[in-house]
Amino acid sequence: MSATATSDAVLLQGIAKRFPGVIANHDVDITIRSGTVHALIGENGAGKSTLMKILYGVQKPDEGTITVDGQTVTFGSPTDAIARGIGMVFQHFMLADNLTVLENVVLGAEKLHGIGEKARSAVEQISTTYGFGLDPDALVEDLGVGDRQRVEILKVLYRGARIIILDEPTAVLVPQEVESLFDNLRVLKAEGHTILFISHKLDEVLDIADDITVMRRGTTVGEAKPDSITKHELAELMVGSELPSPETEESTVTDEVQLSLENVTVADARGRRLCAEVTFTIHRGEVLGIAGVEGNGQAELVETIIGMRKVATGRIRLGSEDMTAWGTRARREAGIGYIPEDRQRHGLLLDSPLWENRILGHQTQPPSVKGPWIDRAGAGSDTERIVKEYDVRTPSIETVARALSGGNQQKLIVGREMSGQPVLLIASHPTRGVDVGAQAAIWGYIKDARRDGLAVLLISADLDELIGLSDRIEVILRGRLVGEFDPQSVTPQDLGAAMTGANEATA
Amino acid sequence: MRARQLNHLWLLISLGAILMVSAVRILTGAHGIDSIGTIRAAIIATCPILMAAIGGLWSERAGVVNIGLEGQMILGTWGAAYFTYYYGPWVGVFGAALLGAVGGLLHALATVTFGVDHIVSGVAINIIGLGASRFLAEAYFTDLEGGGIKQLTGLETPTRVTIPGISDGAEYLADKHWFLVSDLASLVGAMTTDLSLFTVLVAALVIASAWILWRSTFGLRLRSCGENPAAAESLGVNVYRYKYAAVVVSGAMAGIGGGFLALVSSSGFTTGQTNGRGFIGLAAMIFGNWRPGGTTAGALLFGYTDSLQLRDSTSVHALLLIVGIGLVALALWRLRQGKTTTAIVMGALGVAFLVWFLTTDSVPKEFAGMTPYIATLLVLALAAQRLRMPAADGLRYRRGQSI
Repeated sequence: MSATATSDAVLLQGIAKRFPGVIANHDVDITIRSGTVHALIGENGAGKSTLMKILYGVQKPDEGTITVDGQTVTFGSPTDAIARGIGMVFQHFMLADNLTVLENVVLGAEKLHGIGEKARSAVEQISTTYGFGLDPDALVEDLGVGDRQRVEILKVLYRGARIIILDEPTAVLVPQEVESLFDNLRVLKAEGHTILFISHKLDEVLDIADDITVMRRGTTVGEAKPDSITKHELAELMVGSELPSPETEESTVTDEVQLSLENVTVADARGRRLCAEVTFTIHRGEVLGIAGVEGNGQAELVETIIGMRKVATGRIRLGSEDMTAWGTRARREAGIGYIPEDRQRHGLLLDSPLWENRILGHQTQPPSVKGPWIDRAGAGSDTERIVKEYDVRTPSIETVARALSGGNQQKLIVGREMSGQPVLLIASHPTRGVDVGAQAAIWGYIKDARRDGLAVLLISADLDELIGLSDRIEVILRGRLVGEFDPQSVTPQDLGAAMTGANEATA
Repeated sequence: MRARQLNHLWLLISLGAILMVSAVRILTGAHGIDSIGTIRAAIIATCPILMAAIGGLWSERAGVVNIGLEGQMILGTWGAAYFTYYYGPWVGVFGAALLGAVGGLLHALATVTFGVDHIVSGVAINIIGLGASRFLAEAYFTDLEGGGIKQLTGLETPTRVTIPGISDGAEYLADKHWFLVSDLASLVGAMTTDLSLFTVLVAALVIASAWILWRSTFGLRLRSCGENPAAAESLGVNVYRYKYAAVVVSGAMAGIGGGFLALVSSSGFTTGQTNGRGFIGLAAMIFGNWRPGGTTAGALLFGYTDSLQLRDSTSVHALLLIVGIGLVALALWRLRQGKTTTAIVMGALGVAFLVWFLTTDSVPKEFAGMTPYIATLLVLALAAQRLRMPAADGLRYRRGQSI
């Protein structure tokens, strides 16, 4: 093993890739040593994903050479890359939910061991060797996020990959799951595999990587060893400037209750409880953070408060009014703003211009409408206001929403939801997938609004964001609120433990 | 483990159904509800629906909604008639498959290559199928013996077989009208008397389809295209090719169903003789939750009600009692699951059927004709909540769209 550890597994030299109007990559040089964990870090839009797609054969570079194990190669498709022992685990899992683990793994590689008993024992063997603990016959839809990721890694190993690309593997994991992923990666490294780890979470990178390459604006801007660089230096290298932080100032919490839930239970069509007996209150000027592993009922809870789901039992009050039976429109008209979890699916009409998107959710109120008619002029000038105040970078308000970057789309949504003097803001992952600049801006808007007496319900998978912005944090696990924490004193590790139920035995 | 539990459940439900039918038969004296003749007619009515449903299964498992089944079936009826007239019934079956496959190819071309909405393309194929069969019939059948501008009768039918000893014995027992014994004997009798080999072929095709789709590499790849085509593509599966294969086979299966109508159900071709069976097949597939076993059960249910309308009216009247009891039983089951609303609706419907049964002596003929469609609606309304279709079914897929 030690002999191969000194040679280079992958050498990328002078890689460039242009799309119409954009230069995604230029002058990229990376050397990845065999048998190491190599981290590639950079902000969103720094060109990491494009580079990895080039290495995996999804896209062809316009310039530059790829050398794998000492041989120069050109990849026409992922199949060529797989043949060279390169495997990729995508950020968004490529799994068929309604098929079993075994079926997902053998799909496309049936020639290796068929799809029957031989394949099953091969899958079981890999699972045991690397400590994955997967049942080949489990349906993927019944698996948690961590297990799904292991299925993806298993898929790659099953095809004999020696070089494994992981695209932001920790984005969907809680700290404990990250730990177990890292344990898996260390075993893989010990077995002689080479791992290319893409991330923008610096702590994790410093924890797991042997080498670090930093990318900014499409090119490689630096290399580092984790033991000779600090988190702060890495961050500055990555963004080219000072890192923002989500810290709030002094408390602005009042004693006036804005939203209160009493024993709210939500069930799905089959009668399974998604949220059970949830009780909490949010005061004016208060940010309540909800921490939880995805799929533990927080999405359903948000949909219930905005009125997209029905309450099975319990009461929801806005101020002093009981709004349990209200429809979504009535709730919005009463002053609830909503930043949805998935802006492209729920927040925007991607192929409509910005001013039409401004009207969404406010289609009954001025300045969007005049009587029964849409007020184009009113909506247009208010959109101009949002574009200016919230720094939405767009050529014009006639541009379609799809043409904006994720951060600008999100700023438009935040601006829209803040208009019309809301009394309550539900912010579901408000900075997910936006770059650092937009993230800082969105944090700023939330803080400003809180100072003006807005009540905010914040759901986020980014624990630093939750701790930095919230006045109070509730942890949700399997649809129940299982613990309240003070962000002044809690650590991400404490939260992670509560989110996974690791402290249930002691509590 | 999961599969075995499911098998037990199906076994229990089948047994319960036979017991209930038997009890109703004794109670009402309507021995026609499961006589050998009725069951034979039910099997013959089931086969075309079943083939359409299996066709739908192929297509939808690969993610293409095929409501063009009806049109492909119609093409199949013409293909069967034409090829049987010149080359005999077995070539006729092949001809039915061929014409159906052409309809499937058209659907694949529109939906897979050109990305046309599946419903729009399917509706177009239904219209094209009907028009083409009329045109072809007028062009090729008018001057033939037994032919006309809308029909071709007197076709040779596939061989029928009777298994001598078993057939007679079963008929003897069935005529005794004993509880349960006679009902089971009717089943055996229907399957051993005058059985068309085409029916055997249909059964074989269903079993082969289930085997290929769930036990072969080809089937796994095909199903992956219906669940997550982007994932399949990322693993080197040629999604377009598999979708094409699935939709063409789907058309061929529906075509064979049409051929069965022309050669076995009526021994002749008439334009428009499918009469919506392609759609019923689709409903049977949905009822069966996109699984072969359930699909077969759905087709049998529709086939049975379809055949009963042609039999005596006392049987249809007795059917009211069966439906009433069935609905009340379902309502109680739902109530136990805590589904109060569904239980109340079902229970009320069930009671209504029981009252109808008790206060009348016969069912109007016009209503009897509607039975299969009412059954379709009821069954789908009651089953719809637990159905799980392939995740990417009906969605347009473009290569490289998400990686």
